[in-house]
Amino acid sequence: MKGYFNLQYVMTNRKINEAGLNPLLGYLLALTAFVLLSEYIFYKTEFAKYLVILTCLSLQFKLSEKNRTDFLLSTFGDESKMKIRVLENFILCIPFVSILLCKSFLFEAIILFLCSIILALFSFHSNFNLTIPTPFSKRPFEFSTGFRKTFLIFPIAYALTVIAINVDNLNLGIFAFLLVFLTSLSYYFKPEQEYYIWVHAETPKVFLKNKVFNASKNVILLAIPILFSLLIFYPSEFELILIFFLIGLLFLWTVILAKYSAYPDEMNIPEGIMIAFSLYFPPLLLAIIPFFYLKSINKLKYLLND
Amino acid sequence: MIKINGLSKSYGKNEVLKNISMEFLKGKAYGIVGENGAGKTTLFRCIAGLESYNGEIISDITPLKNHLGLLLTDPFFFSKITGKEYIRLLCNARGKTNLEFESKNIFDLPLNQYASTYSTGMKKKLAITAILLQENEYYILDEPFNGVDIQSNIILTEIILKLKELKKVVLISSHIFSTLSDTCDEIHLLRKGEQIKSVQKSEFKHLEQEMKEITIGNRIERLGLK
Repeated sequence: MKGYFNLQYVMTNRKINEAGLNPLLGYLLALTAFVLLSEYIFYKTEFAKYLVILTCLSLQFKLSEKNRTDFLLSTFGDESKMKIRVLENFILCIPFVSILLCKSFLFEAIILFLCSIILALFSFHSNFNLTIPTPFSKRPFEFSTGFRKTFLIFPIAYALTVIAINVDNLNLGIFAFLLVFLTSLSYYFKPEQEYYIWVHAETPKVFLKNKVFNASKNVILLAIPILFSLLIFYPSEFELILIFFLIGLLFLWTVILAKYSAYPDEMNIPEGIMIAFSLYFPPLLLAIIPFFYLKSINKLKYLLND
Repeated sequence: MIKINGLSKSYGKNEVLKNISMEFLKGKAYGIVGENGAGKTTLFRCIAGLESYNGEIISDITPLKNHLGLLLTDPFFFSKITGKEYIRLLCNARGKTNLEFESKNIFDLPLNQYASTYSTGMKKKLAITAILLQENEYYILDEPFNGVDIQSNIILTEIILKLKELKKVVLISSHIFSTLSDTCDEIHLLRKGEQIKSVQKSEFKHLEQEMKEITIGNRIERLGLK
């Protein structure tokens, strides 16, 4: 069991190293990001405690995946497997329970802790045979596969919009709006296998144009109920809402182009820093987008005919 | 037609393909055989343009890659893509739209299920279906018969014969010699990146026997099974 956790530690360090960071710095950054993000969520919404609990449980749900727990069972035996799973969930819930305790949500912290331990006793199939319908089936793959993995986010975002309008909180409405964009951005974080680029009988320019066009079309389809609701109920904030919409679109294009500018590697620190800077100062996107575009064209040349 | 002249490929100091020259003509199927690591997949990747190389690869229709159906040994599938969406993705990538899937689902695959839930053989059949529906001029099939049930192997053999009839160029690698002798007109033997020999259909039996002797050698005795 000790060997298992040592191996997990070594593998995590490797991943941080591959991202170009010293592992210690990586852990510090992750902790800082976690604290800042939690603070931000608690500052922004009264539902933050539920978001914290849901995030923790969904991560633990992944650890309870059937193939994974079957592997642990066949390798370590029943008793050790149970200990490993309980310990994994315990370690994972520490930061989430701590943040709830810091915010004086004692009851919720205890519930989360107990749920974490109980969840460790079960295994779940993550590959249901049920095919989740998607409106993006005609243009695979980013939005069709991504939508199926994150489809629960969208009813939550739409429900937040309804709540925002009911309690007259435009910020919450904008947050719901951005949630849709952030979820869509996440479909483009990982580079696809080279075959899925190679197979296109297109030049890099046409390939990128189609990627950006389809992504824009699809994200608009998902965001339009929120956009229209906010425009109808906050007509005086017309400009602000449209600016957020435009910035969301620009970030989507940036992430798509950043992905291919780093291809075949994953987006790394340089791309991350540039995107982070443009979050603070969005006009930077006007320089970053052409930069990523030219770099992407270069990177795609070896897989697509120019 | 695809013509390869003096093709070499190295990974650092490791030369994996050494001065390969071959010609593949329309309406013919070619087998590429050799042990694991002989360079078969690297040769295919070079032809597909997935690897840089020294030497020359020319084709009568250009660019070659836009008319090439490539079946990889172990096709990759996204975790939440259905069989139908996978075929649509590959066909759209070649400008083929409005396809009628149901009648062309010759392997009776559950196209509305996630491809990641398919068995190894079903995944291979899905990938084969997709590249066939792309209507390519050239086909590279890397281990097409592996993991596929015997009925589908029979269908696959007939498909390759049909492709030859339609004047396509077909390149196949396989460790099952009988499938190659049923379909191929010529077989190229690779060993450690070198083109050892090329034999015509009339000499296949001899090649098979020779490969068997070289491959087995005294390995079984070395195991010392008791």
